[in-house]
Amino acid sequence: MPEHILQLKDITMQFGGVVAVDSLSLYVDEGEIVALIGPNGAGKTTAFNCVTGVYKPTNGQVSYRGKLIVSNHPQGKMKTLYAGSDKDKYTQVLEPTPDKITALGIARTFQNIRLFKTQTVFENVLIAMHLHRTSNLFTATLHLNSKEEKQHHQRALELLEAVNLLDQKDELATSLPYGMQRRLEIARALATKPQLLLLDEPAAGMNPQETDTLSAFILDIKQQFKLSVFLIEHHMDLVMDISDRIYVIDFGKLIAHGTPAEVQDNPDVIRAYLGVEE
Amino acid sequence: MKAFKIILSLLLVASAVALIVFVGGALGNPDDVIARLDADNLAATDSKLQKARDRALESAQAGDREKTLRNIDRYVEGFGDQLELGGQNRLDLFFYRHGPSLIAVSIVVIVAAAALLVSALDSRGRYRKAAIYALLIVLLYAGIYIVENLAGASSMLMTVLKKGAIYALIAVSLNLLNGFTGLFSLGQAGFMLIGAYTYAIFTIATENRAQVYQYYNGGLVQFSLPPLVALVLAGLAAAFFASLVGLPVLRLKSDYLAIATLGFAEIIRAIFQYDGLGPLTNGSNLLRKFATFDSALFPFAVAGVCIALIAMLIHSTYGRAFKAIRDDEVAAEAMGINLFRHKQMAFVISSFFAGVGGALLAMFQTTVQASAFKSSMTYELLLIVVIGGMGSITGSVLASFLFIASSEWWLRFLDNTQMIGDFQVPLLRSGFRMVVFSAIIMVVVLFYRRGIMGDKEFSLKRLSQRFRRKGESRNA
Ligand SMILES: Nc1ncnc2c1ncn2[C@@H]1O[C@H](COP(=O)(O)OP(=O)(O)OP(=O)(O)O)[C@@H](O)[C@H]1O
Ligand SMILES: [Mg+2]
Repeated sequence: MPEHILQLKDITMQFGGVVAVDSLSLYVDEGEIVALIGPNGAGKTTAFNCVTGVYKPTNGQVSYRGKLIVSNHPQGKMKTLYAGSDKDKYTQVLEPTPDKITALGIARTFQNIRLFKTQTVFENVLIAMHLHRTSNLFTATLHLNSKEEKQHHQRALELLEAVNLLDQKDELATSLPYGMQRRLEIARALATKPQLLLLDEPAAGMNPQETDTLSAFILDIKQQFKLSVFLIEHHMDLVMDISDRIYVIDFGKLIAHGTPAEVQDNPDVIRAYLGVEE
Repeated sequence: MKAFKIILSLLLVASAVALIVFVGGALGNPDDVIARLDADNLAATDSKLQKARDRALESAQAGDREKTLRNIDRYVEGFGDQLELGGQNRLDLFFYRHGPSLIAVSIVVIVAAAALLVSALDSRGRYRKAAIYALLIVLLYAGIYIVENLAGASSMLMTVLKKGAIYALIAVSLNLLNGFTGLFSLGQAGFMLIGAYTYAIFTIATENRAQVYQYYNGGLVQFSLPPLVALVLAGLAAAFFASLVGLPVLRLKSDYLAIATLGFAEIIRAIFQYDGLGPLTNGSNLLRKFATFDSALFPFAVAGVCIALIAMLIHSTYGRAFKAIRDDEVAAEAMGINLFRHKQMAFVISSFFAGVGGALLAMFQTTVQASAFKSSMTYELLLIVVIGGMGSITGSVLASFLFIASSEWWLRFLDNTQMIGDFQVPLLRSGFRMVVFSAIIMVVVLFYRRGIMGDKEFSLKRLSQRFRRKGESRNA
């Protein structure tokens, strides 16, 4: 059996006394679309941030294609504060910065859109090509890398074409309507040549029509760029429509896992979403 | 059209070359003209006239053009009515006096002709931009040269231009950091100091070292380097210190970064005055007698090359990465940009050019003293960057010249008491200039917060577009 493209083992993220993610274990396989859902504040974005290096998890490990990329165990002040489980299970410490994770082939979008606000649509995509430069400071400054620059420009245009933003290429990124900004974030993520794409609420802020076309769009780029997709989303129609598997978390803890049909009928999930007190 | 352009450009070249030949002739033998002025050989009978003539001849033979011009002026002034000042002689004198400017004009004409030729032959317009730039650059430098020859190298205008060019370089280097990378650093004066001292220490002529370092037995360094080598070394020294300081400091968030870099600059200022380092830095005494420049062409050339390099960097993939960091650090990092490495890069490069700028400033002042590199210098530069527009190179350059011109020249009259008839104009007295100057700056910062240029660049394309649009609206 091939290795999982992404695997989380007992990931716990604790902010002071607040346990945002609690011993979360999950995996994504090559070519899958996997959704992570849960009520507001469940810890979904925090889980993404632990994978992408924005946060250092308090405990647990993340592997990419079988290779350990993030690992930590409660240290220092956290030794006494730690409220999760498995505190002695891991000993290794691996804390890469987000750019290292991106370089491995994991790209992401942000729930609260983070485009480069003084830059045009085209420049936003171009910036993401910086990762795959072969020029160094001197050759780039002296413009000896014009061939590569041309390739990057070309590829940026192709990506904008793929997300249907070519007509807006010279507009200021932040002047676009929400839906387009989300697509631009995806184009920018694709420019880093990822194999795994993490989407944090791609439908948020989109109008119903845009949301309708989003399913087809995600399936399309998945096909075209040979991606595996791990996404957070509140629109259940979208999630049920495109996901191969779904993980449900509440208060940081995994409460259900399965195919859309299995999850839909799970009483725990219904309870979490309806907020029924136990 | 094409043939016309080619013929025109060839004609231009021919006339420029002819002019150079003429001028070259006049420049080459001033003694010939001086001798010819006395057509009636009055020198044989008039000893005063002979003395004046011989003085002019002597300086001409010594090859000192400025002195020769002064002596000719005296000669002509004293005995003008007896000398032959018409025809060929007048022309030759004119060529001799304005020769360098005329050669500069000829060079502009030749470059213009070359640009014309390029535009005629290159039908696809691939080299058009380069040709226009080349022409503009040559025009700028020839203009400076001509103005300098007309106004004199030590005139107020040239002083302002020289200092303005130096400040432009340092302001652009600061803008690279504050405006383009979003790192709020206040250490520029410290890096300028390192550059200024490095340059001065390594270019004092060996025979002058005993005198300069009189309290330190002639100092430690006993050789001197060529100015251009020392300039690069000045930049490298500043860059080296920056890379050391950057390691701990660049991990700090913006306000702390400002405080830490400011502290660094103050510490550097103190260290360079420390008596124990005297053999190197001359303690709290002046450094002087190092290599300097006379002509404004030198600072303009160095600053021009450096600013061009910074501009090219900003328009490269690294410049885009810097701007991404400025706009959103988290997003930049998620796009695979290593924050620390790129911040360090911007910091070190900015400091390199601040060091070169500091060295130029030392040359401009002809002496350096560490105590002069106060944090107020950094604030001045920061003001220039803000006035010009954060994230605009042309804005910083423009603002530097405006700032230096107002502070050193245009507002000078406010410091002198003025009388209109019997009435003494109130408020005008020594120190009032600074009051008005501060008020102007406050108004600019309050009401034009985005500065002259915002984050846009001045470009011919935009200018021509604007004119075209105005023309269109007028026609409509
Ligand atoms: N940097 C932080 N410091 C302290 N607490 C944090 C931090 N980031 C997240 N939290 C807390 O962790 C919990 C989970 O937040 P998270 O943003 O992961 O939720 P989410 O599932 O993405 O919610 P939503 O659907 O609203 O986006 C919240 O209670 C939040 O307040
Ligand atoms: Mg979230």
